[in-house]
Amino acid sequence: MSAATAINRVMMAAFAAFLVSVPWSVPALINSFWVSVIAEILIWSLFAASVNLLFGCVGLLSFGQALYFGFGMYGVAIGISDLGLSFWPAFGLGIVASMAMALVTGIFAVRLTWHYFAIITVVFSLIFYFLALSNKWLTGGDDGINFTLPPTFTFGGTKWALTDPTFQYFFILTTVALCFWLMHRLIGSPLGKAFLAIRDNDVRASLIGLNVYLLRLIAFVLAGFLAGVAGALFAFFGRYASASYMFYHVSGEAVVWAIVGGAGTLFGPIVGTSIFIIVREVVSSHWEHHGLIVGIVAILVVMFAPKGVVGLWRQWLTSLSERTVTPADAAPVDIKLRTEP
Amino acid sequence: MSEPVLRTENLTRRFGGLVAVDNLNISLPGGRLHAIIGPNGAGKTTFFNLISGLLKSDGGRVFFQGRDITGLKPHQISRLGIKRTLQIKSVFPQLSVAENLWITGQAGQRFLHPFRAASSDRAAWEKVERTLEQIGLAGLAKRAAGTLSYGDVALLEIGMALISEPKLLLLDEPTCGMSPAETERAVQKIRELARTIDIVIIEHDMEVVFGIASDITVMAQGSILASGTPKQIADDERVREAYLGRPEDEDYVEEAVHA
Repeated sequence: MSAATAINRVMMAAFAAFLVSVPWSVPALINSFWVSVIAEILIWSLFAASVNLLFGCVGLLSFGQALYFGFGMYGVAIGISDLGLSFWPAFGLGIVASMAMALVTGIFAVRLTWHYFAIITVVFSLIFYFLALSNKWLTGGDDGINFTLPPTFTFGGTKWALTDPTFQYFFILTTVALCFWLMHRLIGSPLGKAFLAIRDNDVRASLIGLNVYLLRLIAFVLAGFLAGVAGALFAFFGRYASASYMFYHVSGEAVVWAIVGGAGTLFGPIVGTSIFIIVREVVSSHWEHHGLIVGIVAILVVMFAPKGVVGLWRQWLTSLSERTVTPADAAPVDIKLRTEP
Repeated sequence: MSEPVLRTENLTRRFGGLVAVDNLNISLPGGRLHAIIGPNGAGKTTFFNLISGLLKSDGGRVFFQGRDITGLKPHQISRLGIKRTLQIKSVFPQLSVAENLWITGQAGQRFLHPFRAASSDRAAWEKVERTLEQIGLAGLAKRAAGTLSYGDVALLEIGMALISEPKLLLLDEPTCGMSPAETERAVQKIRELARTIDIVIIEHDMEVVFGIASDITVMAQGSILASGTPKQIADDERVREAYLGRPEDEDYVEEAVHA
């Protein structure tokens, strides 16, 4: 095991230990408000992972993932308040609704690439944003739908519900961790390698026999799944759903998080989302223009660290392990590859 | 086998007013190494694009081993066993050399497992290792393909062609931009491949063409100007006048004078 792998393992273990200890350590060190900030970061990381799966692994830049996030939210909210579903069926409804929506829109969207793809995803999300706004009877429009949480588990007389903050935190952590584990498996799988091949060179991918259209559609539906789970979790977390989360502004934020964190890396979305939400929470109470910091950081990263913060970290690890052997030569190559059309 | 490996009927492709491939009727029998030569703009690459499905034809049909493949998608044509390389070297730059070979070997499968580790497929990786040995890139297996030298990328392309077990291989200027030593290595590989695989090669380097081809087709303005054995082509007056009699450099000089 190389030094780099060892450092990564230690970091991972420390990070995992921290996440598990949050409900006790964070109130003791800061205050209990930050427990819900961290829960929120976890949910939004999953949303950023949805952008990352498309952009980082398949090379499709979507500015419309909020649509599937919104469908996840509304699936839960409408399921509980209108259809009277209990917890798990409502969760399932949210996920299925976003995947179905991703399938329907994906059939059209993945015929296109690059800016055309980006535009069509924005258009789809805007259409449904305005539909959600105008159909107040179903969606509550701007006011959204509030609902009362049903219990998650019932065993005899005992009930576990997300109303218990610690249970809620662990429910979110487990769900998000499970999704990231699936992502990890996916990236290392034959399907994941096919995705990477398409990202690198779609013409060549088709010439070696990969069905580029179908694979892109599969990736789009999987990204819809991740966004849908994130949206459903966020609905449970806030006990409500609103059309405002379907606006393209929300999609754009996830794109920034994913790229700053490191597109194409497993942990990039977590890193990027954490940075921006922590900055927002810390700075916004003192200074109203915290968006400025977001913009500057995003520009700096795109210019100087095309592989994001995780890319910088990896570069540093490589230079650390190669310092004794040969100078690192990875950096200029990375930059060249990212500018490919 | 009487059925030719590749046959076209009145194959046509226009780009606006330009007819890039003009009513092309070509028939290539199996078991031979065919070369297609001709000046720039003769329609050679367009011809490959039409066969491999990257371009749709405006008319005519393409038959592969007697089967009509006109209008099929690139991946469908690839899965029938027609593999090709691109004129501009084209691999998966961020994947490692080994991964490039691996995915090429797997791409024909209908089902790509979403969650099983790709590294667990022992047989597929053994095949990758054999191919790495064959093309002499075993030492670079873990390098990102985008960091390879030009000649090594070309070898990787040949390795990718090998591992996909093609029935028909279309090579578009495989030695373009190579050093003499690299060219020699590549030519050697192509000769080896030609023993078991039908190959059609587009090439500008006349030394290479006359060294390896068993049949040569000369294209000009989207049509066939002449075809035959290397000797027949070398002796053909029209071909001599048009393409072989004058080194390419003089063309440029002449163009410069008229400009």
